[in-house]
Amino acid sequence: MERAIVPPVPDAAQAPAPVLEIRDYTLGYNTPAGRFEALKSIDLQVWRGPTLGLVGESGSGKTSLAWAIMRYLPENAVENSGTIELSGENLRAKSVPEILAIRGRRISMVFQDPSTSLNPAIRLGDQIAEVLVQHRGLTLKEARGEGEALLARTGITRPADMMLRYPHEASGGEKQRVVIATAFACNPELIIFDEPTTALDIITARQILELFGRLRDETGVTALYISHDLGLVSRIAQDVAVIHDGVIVERGSCASIFKAPRQPYTKALLAAVPRPDLRIAPPAPDASAGDLLSVEDVSVNYGNAPALLRFLSPPRADAYGARSVSLGVRPGEILGIVGESGSGKSTLAKVLVGLQTFEGRLSFGGRAFTSRRMIDRDYRRAVQIVFQHPDASLNPRQRIGTILSRPLRLYDLVPPADIAARVRALLEEVLLDADFAARYPHQLSGGEKQRVAIARAFAAEPSLVICDEITSSLDVSVQASVARLLIELQRRTGTACIFITHDLNLVRQLAHRIAVMQHGKLVDLFDIADVTSDARDAYTRSLLAAVPIPFDAETDPVTSEAGAGNMP
Amino acid sequence: MSELIRTPPGAVGALLLALIIVAVLFGPLLAPYDPQTFYTTVRLQGPSADHWLGTDQFGRDLLSRLLHGSRATIAFGLGATGLGVCAGSLIGVSAGVAGGWVDSIIMRTLDGLLAVPDLLFTLLIVTMLGGGTGHAMLAVAVAFTPGMARIARSSVLSIREREYVLAAVARGESQGYIILREVIPNAIGPIVVEATIRVSFAIMIGATLGFLGLGAQPPSTEWGLMVAEARQFMFRSPWGVAVPGLAIAVAALGFNLFGDALRDSFDPRRRR
Repeated sequence: MERAIVPPVPDAAQAPAPVLEIRDYTLGYNTPAGRFEALKSIDLQVWRGPTLGLVGESGSGKTSLAWAIMRYLPENAVENSGTIELSGENLRAKSVPEILAIRGRRISMVFQDPSTSLNPAIRLGDQIAEVLVQHRGLTLKEARGEGEALLARTGITRPADMMLRYPHEASGGEKQRVVIATAFACNPELIIFDEPTTALDIITARQILELFGRLRDETGVTALYISHDLGLVSRIAQDVAVIHDGVIVERGSCASIFKAPRQPYTKALLAAVPRPDLRIAPPAPDASAGDLLSVEDVSVNYGNAPALLRFLSPPRADAYGARSVSLGVRPGEILGIVGESGSGKSTLAKVLVGLQTFEGRLSFGGRAFTSRRMIDRDYRRAVQIVFQHPDASLNPRQRIGTILSRPLRLYDLVPPADIAARVRALLEEVLLDADFAARYPHQLSGGEKQRVAIARAFAAEPSLVICDEITSSLDVSVQASVARLLIELQRRTGTACIFITHDLNLVRQLAHRIAVMQHGKLVDLFDIADVTSDARDAYTRSLLAAVPIPFDAETDPVTSEAGAGNMP
Repeated sequence: MSELIRTPPGAVGALLLALIIVAVLFGPLLAPYDPQTFYTTVRLQGPSADHWLGTDQFGRDLLSRLLHGSRATIAFGLGATGLGVCAGSLIGVSAGVAGGWVDSIIMRTLDGLLAVPDLLFTLLIVTMLGGGTGHAMLAVAVAFTPGMARIARSSVLSIREREYVLAAVARGESQGYIILREVIPNAIGPIVVEATIRVSFAIMIGATLGFLGLGAQPPSTEWGLMVAEARQFMFRSPWGVAVPGLAIAVAALGFNLFGDALRDSFDPRRRR
């Protein structure tokens, strides 16, 4: 059962016609700025049996292709050439009623975010039943019974109970199970999975992947799995097609593409996937120097009512963003903080930069801070933050030069006459042209904006920079270059760094120590060398197990626990 | 600007506004007759070669009165809206920035005021202050204030949580810098759009007040007043009512379409 999640390769002779065949398909969008070619002469076949993984970065056209197969294109889309055939029938030639009969019945789709793909006003059970009534002609009563059976198959423990719930009463993982059950409801010929785990937490995502593998093996459905995550695709697909700028640049079996990529783009993409065994961080600083910043027993309670009303509503136990967190950052070290969403890692970041009221104590530079009000400009200069969303972290009405000069002026770091020169130097340090200073943020790409945000943080000449998920909204290749840039700056300036992320492979590449948070508590803190030690917390171990090292069949513990659908 | 007139509604709105601007700036020069002179031989006429849009009950030339009246009407709309926007934005931004109980008290009070329809509110204030253009303008401005404050506040609230504002707070920027340089420049879009659309309401309320005899007073020339004066004779000659009525509609439509186009151009999803 080494790689049970991937089914055996069918005999070439046994696999006659592909289920889905796309030939010379070209798609463009009319925009006021002219025609934008989203897909260029796409040739793609999906056979029954092996799952095809379609890998591409944002803007590569992978989602456009999914919509084209579903025949759900916006009004400004123009199809120039080609055919899309489902079991030999050209979908492009079908009328609207014919397509409506095919969608959900013969092709179905699982979307990225289950919270938006389910109708919040309809009970989950009725959403499944609707598909069965519509396409299989069951009565409502039969459909509900069948729906329950489908839910049970997706590993939901009490399907009858789940049928009666509304989407907001179910967790993200449960909702995605319902969506998957709906997709499988009519035993379609083809299911398109469009990043079905991207919006989910690490452990939930892992369970959904296992469910995908199990259902596929049980039903033998043909699947097209779209993702930006090469590591993930390497584990669940048999064949891979790499799409870039609307062109399929390379396609082949997983083994051949991951072991010996031929195209430069594929090579670059593979090289950008973070691998914990390839460390990029400088050596750890001396641990005996004492802590630069220490967090002592810090709690954040979001449930606190205004002072006047506090006697009416006692503090709620479930509203803690952080609970009695204590940890220290050493000078010059990179401390990784990992955890799932809602674990309190971003709350802690906000406390550290004085954006969040807290209880407890911060010690920094020989001074103690026991409330947000005590945090002054000296502290703020020394502790800088870089946020997650490059699109939101730069003021859209200010030029890059103005944005970068702000910390210089605010903290009087350079004489006014030298500010322009310093801004140019800062831009060059983050590998951007000096003439970026005259541009506005919307003229920059996501990666460039994030470089500017990093430059702004380092402009203050801080002793600690907090990076709050700075790579999570970037594409894989950009993510790698931003991470390397940060490490390079960190090495040159000796600034300590707190690197908050949910990407375990990335943090294992660059952190000296890792702190693990869960439900607002610090559950584990360890040196990178001890990551696989037996002393690790159970939660740390389950996180690590959920994210195996990419392309490494030896250490992949995939499906030995495939039945563990109800892990905590 | 070129983006604004790219869509048909935007182009129509801009065209109508251009017409209005020409009337306001050059109206008295373009007018063929004096707006107050009675030509008693040609009372209540339809359009003719001499009087393109006809004449009213005193034989005054409707086109000339329309051109002269544009100033009072448009000035009323812009003035009332301007005052309302300034007062509303000030209150809304303060509430949004202050937060907490200050915000609660201001907003609950405004909620109460918002429950009163604009026209009724205006009538109430005019009744208390007495009629006349100045009072009417003030009344409309006061009636607009709660709605504008609401929009300004919600705009500020959404901007305040953006990461670039958080970054400024984390940097230790002063409150004044954050409000003036980070928040307001980004919050201004929705306020400008709402203001443009509201100019059309202000023009209509101003005309209504003129019609009711609570706004501009005879013998001054104002579109709403023109409708009021011609009302008695509307079955003998509809032109006296139709011409200024249509002009009000055109002005309102122009501002409205332009405001819509402006809103679309601020919406990044509709750009490009």
